[in-house]
Amino acid sequence: MSTVATGQASGRYARLMTSLLRGTLRLDVLVNKLYPTDFNPLYYTGGLSNLFLFTLVLSGIFLFFYYDASLGESFASVQYLTDRVPYGGIVRGVHRYAADGFIVGILLHLLRNWFTDRHLFARDNPWISGMFLLLFAGFIGFTGYQLVWDERAQLLTSMFVAMLRSIPAAGAALTRLFIGGVGISDGTLVRILFLHIGPATALYVFLWWHYVRQRHPKIWPPGVWVLFCVGLVFLLAGAVPVTRETIPAATPAASPTRFPMDVFFLIPFWLLNFLPAGVVVLLLVALFVGGLAIPYASRRETPVEMGVRHSGVAQVIDGNCTGCELCYYDCPYNAIVMVPSPGPGLSKAAANRSLLAVVIESRCVECGICIGACPFEALELPKFLERDVLRQVGEAVQA
Amino acid sequence: MTQTLKVVGFICDWSVDLAPLSDGGRLREVPGVRVIRVPCSGFVRPNWLEDALNRGADGVFVTGCPYGDCLNREGNFLMRDRIDQLRRRLQRRKVDPARIGMLAFGLHDGASFLAEVKAFADRIAALPPAPPARAAGRAAVTEPAQASEGERP
Repeated sequence: MSTVATGQASGRYARLMTSLLRGTLRLDVLVNKLYPTDFNPLYYTGGLSNLFLFTLVLSGIFLFFYYDASLGESFASVQYLTDRVPYGGIVRGVHRYAADGFIVGILLHLLRNWFTDRHLFARDNPWISGMFLLLFAGFIGFTGYQLVWDERAQLLTSMFVAMLRSIPAAGAALTRLFIGGVGISDGTLVRILFLHIGPATALYVFLWWHYVRQRHPKIWPPGVWVLFCVGLVFLLAGAVPVTRETIPAATPAASPTRFPMDVFFLIPFWLLNFLPAGVVVLLLVALFVGGLAIPYASRRETPVEMGVRHSGVAQVIDGNCTGCELCYYDCPYNAIVMVPSPGPGLSKAAANRSLLAVVIESRCVECGICIGACPFEALELPKFLERDVLRQVGEAVQA
Repeated sequence: MTQTLKVVGFICDWSVDLAPLSDGGRLREVPGVRVIRVPCSGFVRPNWLEDALNRGADGVFVTGCPYGDCLNREGNFLMRDRIDQLRRRLQRRKVDPARIGMLAFGLHDGASFLAEVKAFADRIAALPPAPPARAAGRAAVTEPAQASEGERP
């Protein structure tokens, strides 16, 4: 990141991160040669994920109208939807491929922000809500595979139950909660349908947490990329229909042993080939907890250790603030709020103010954008004052 | 001409890596350029650019991260807009807007950054000479007389 950090980088993790950062930026430069920077898709990984999520919600609502959550009817209802409903198979394909795009988008977003150190310090909240978004997205994808209730779904359910059972102490209770009773019944699919849609709704709660500190979050990619991605998903849905893998309906008598893999959602189940269920559960928990710890576990923990400038939280100079709201509009982190002014300011311009800017310290990342926004000298970074800058300008001009 | 040129550059901590390019606040390859590091390109107050010109700089520029990749998400876009505004303002005061530049380069884009700075300096060198420095601009710190914390008595 900053020049000093690259010089000071020590330890294997730090060196690895430095080279990953270099690789990420090199990739950016390459892509920027192809597209203008405003259209670099790598700058919009979050927006792309959100676009796929929106596609998923719309196509999911369509599928929901036709879905029948019961052991006997669910497979038939999906068949009916695919074969009889106009464009039903296409919508199903869109739902499937947009889900893959969603996971790819999330993973790109995660890696990019990890490698460019955008998860550190004041930005741990987006990181943590992002980990929850990833966890929920993975789980929703898995329950989506169960809803079809073919042999793959049946096998997945029994594998998942095996994983749940392997959890010490709580395993049996969790299993009963998940399948709704001692055995699989009509109630099971209702639960799974809820576990598909409920967490999908929760995604938007986590997204609120993800965005809460951002002033103008880039939630949509540029228009051409929206068209491209939606078009790609539709083309895929038409060219590679989801029904190309014919999996028979689940029956209590069937005991399937294999199913077509999906690399984006079913990797934990693939691991069950080699590892006992308990180990896979442990691995997943370790991955999630480790992911949550990434912003804190780094050796380069403090700004000083990282060699990043530490200018202090922006301070409002009460006497000069005119309540013009410019800093409030420009702060990218929603860290400035306007409050009714308790009294007039000291300077001439501030004498008739009705509002006063206040910095929410927990949101400030010390970037100083508000200082550039303020034409009234009413904001300062405590450890890098305007006076210091002007002194440097003076030295530069006189030298 | 380039030798006597005085160009002041405000450079974001997170954009171009200056360690291999600069010595004591000067670019090694373009000695007329003095660099001042700032926490984000958006930190730069347009007044300071104007001030630098008033105090005798031939040109000023700000360097941020590539557009769309600002560490603080919007700093470089905001700065680009502010510089556009400042250019219009200076044009009314008969200052050539070419004396102000906005650049955007990533951490490892040192070579293209240098090329762009050189081109910027050459463009300024070709301009008719700037008016002489005005009397040191304004006071470096503006504090109201007998400023006191809190409310007035």
